[in-house]
Amino acid sequence: MSVTPQTAEEGDRLPTVTFGPITRTTLALYAGASGDHNPIHIDLDFAKRAGLQDVFAHGMLSMAQLGRVATDWAGIDRLRGLSSRFTAITPVGATVTCEGRIAERFEQDGAPMLRVALTATIDDGTQTLRGEALVSAA
Amino acid sequence: MGLFDRSSAGYVAAPVEVTVERGALAFFAETIGETNPIHFDVDAARAAGHPDVMAPATYPVVLDMAASKESARKGQKDLLGLIAADMRYLLHGTENYAYHGPIYAGDTVEIISRVKGFSDAKGGALEIAHLEMEVRHAQRGTLAIASRDLIHRLPKEAQS
Repeated sequence: MSVTPQTAEEGDRLPTVTFGPITRTTLALYAGASGDHNPIHIDLDFAKRAGLQDVFAHGMLSMAQLGRVATDWAGIDRLRGLSSRFTAITPVGATVTCEGRIAERFEQDGAPMLRVALTATIDDGTQTLRGEALVSAA
Repeated sequence: MGLFDRSSAGYVAAPVEVTVERGALAFFAETIGETNPIHFDVDAARAAGHPDVMAPATYPVVLDMAASKESARKGQKDLLGLIAADMRYLLHGTENYAYHGPIYAGDTVEIISRVKGFSDAKGGALEIAHLEMEVRHAQRGTLAIASRDLIHRLPKEAQS
């Protein structure tokens, strides 16, 4: 039986979400869809002038996948918080694998809550995001 | 030394009104690979008891970008301009959302942006701007609060 928010315990793992490979088209579409027009993600000439070899993916595109790990599993109605630290750049061509694990079951104002530890990892094993979701377990 | 304009610490921007558009919200949901149709199919959203398609978890960042562009159209500096962010050296450090209510297509919300302050890291090689954005609805109150750290990877000449 699959784990539900009501029954989840510390250490339980959530279904993984994978996204990619992230192409230049993905980045162009995400720039348009999100309104984040920072040229460092879409303009190779700009990236080179800034001393980089290439453009790199928006961190928020991967954070959206961390959000999906939590909401695909628990439903967005249960999501109370989502946070992330961006620990490494995601290069063009990467496939992002996002995983969630129940870190803690606790009570907040008398209501049962889950703290979900989230990670995003790319093909070569580099961890690119480390985050957390707060999910209602009521 | 740094590049951020630290005199902007404590600044609270005037509220910027943004309307959540259905097509734009659905396009965002599809772009991030969202598979739950309540985020891109209005019929599915209504069948699930929602008034319209619902914003995915990271949508506050989109509203924030929309508010920035609206400010620019009015000839006002957006938050990135205000803190003097240099896109060549800018990195996203952290992003944090606290959710207080759903955001739906058709909602008109106010975005209130604040510059919380600045700090330094890695012996002056990095400088960090701490920002906060609130998504507020006239009837339903605060819907989400976003906190964000933006980092400058300082070039040698800008390190203290």
